[in-house]
Amino acid sequence: MFMLTAVMSELTHDTTIPEVAAETDAALAKSAAGGDAIAFEAIYRRHAGRVHGVIVRLVGAQGVRAEDLTQEAFVRAWQALPKFRFESAVSTWLHRLAVTTALMELRSRRSGPRFDEDENAVDGLGVADSAGNGTALSMDLERAVATLPPRARAVLVLHDIEGWKHEEIANELNMAVGSSKAQLHRARQLLRTRLGGEA
Amino acid sequence: MSNEQNDALRWQLQGLRRELQPENDLWPGIAARLAQAPQSASEQPKRISAHRFIPWAMAASVLLVIGMVWQVMPGSTQNNPQTSPLVLQQAVAMTFDYENALARMQETEAHPEVKQAFGELDRSAAQILTAIDRDPHAVFLLEQLRRTYARRLQLTQRVTMT
Repeated sequence: MFMLTAVMSELTHDTTIPEVAAETDAALAKSAAGGDAIAFEAIYRRHAGRVHGVIVRLVGAQGVRAEDLTQEAFVRAWQALPKFRFESAVSTWLHRLAVTTALMELRSRRSGPRFDEDENAVDGLGVADSAGNGTALSMDLERAVATLPPRARAVLVLHDIEGWKHEEIANELNMAVGSSKAQLHRARQLLRTRLGGEA
Repeated sequence: MSNEQNDALRWQLQGLRRELQPENDLWPGIAARLAQAPQSASEQPKRISAHRFIPWAMAASVLLVIGMVWQVMPGSTQNNPQTSPLVLQQAVAMTFDYENALARMQETEAHPEVKQAFGELDRSAAQILTAIDRDPHAVFLLEQLRRTYARRLQLTQRVTMT
């Protein structure tokens, strides 16, 4: 029992949960990269919540469509795994892949606000939007984010929620760093307006 | 907008970063598509031979099953009198399969310098398994076992990839 206690103590103090999770992810990813679908299912089970979460934040909670994109992101991950070099954590790689998948969807949309055409529309929505005229005092933050124009929402979500840097956002969205900063400024302004200045 | 206002808004926005599980289980649909979605060619210069890959894949599969058993077990962070000993016995049986798979790989591939580390991890796993035999309701031991095998996988990976 003494030996067991010593082993337990050593394992507990020498290994943190995130480290173990990253090791397990890497082991599973290596197997999946070799065609092991069972290992890949484990990756799906471990990361579906994070992947689906960021997709919903970027495209909005549109039920089945967001789930379609989550499914698409994992299929792309399966296809790309053999080329993954493990220079970043598997979770980080999956997160970026999810973002890319969601942004491709936003760019290809044929209805609603167009992702590549709302640069000027943001200015028009700066003070009072057509739907709420800036009076939606009780609108909760999540709903307010969802009502932002696609490009402004993408910048805000990536910077303020996901923690990306402007350089990373600009590269992913194919825009200048200054445009990313401007979009963030306007997105925050819109949010405050829609939240009634309570944020 | 002042810096204080920005900070307050960002603080609230960061609270939106949370996991969101899909309402439906997407795995059946993903699995169906995987069969029709060929993986890209590996960029690794050295191809891993089949006899090295198979036990490695087996090990990872067993690990994930253990991990899934761990995740679905209620009250997994503490002893739970409702836990079925049968579940633990199955997990233990799978870990032995895992050990055997790794042992075969170690026998033919392990570098002498890491054999001692393998041995220490083997002994740790054996001790934890003994403890599980004595107390099949002690779910936390399963987590300890999983951590031990995660280490073993990492070390084995280093050996097989170099």
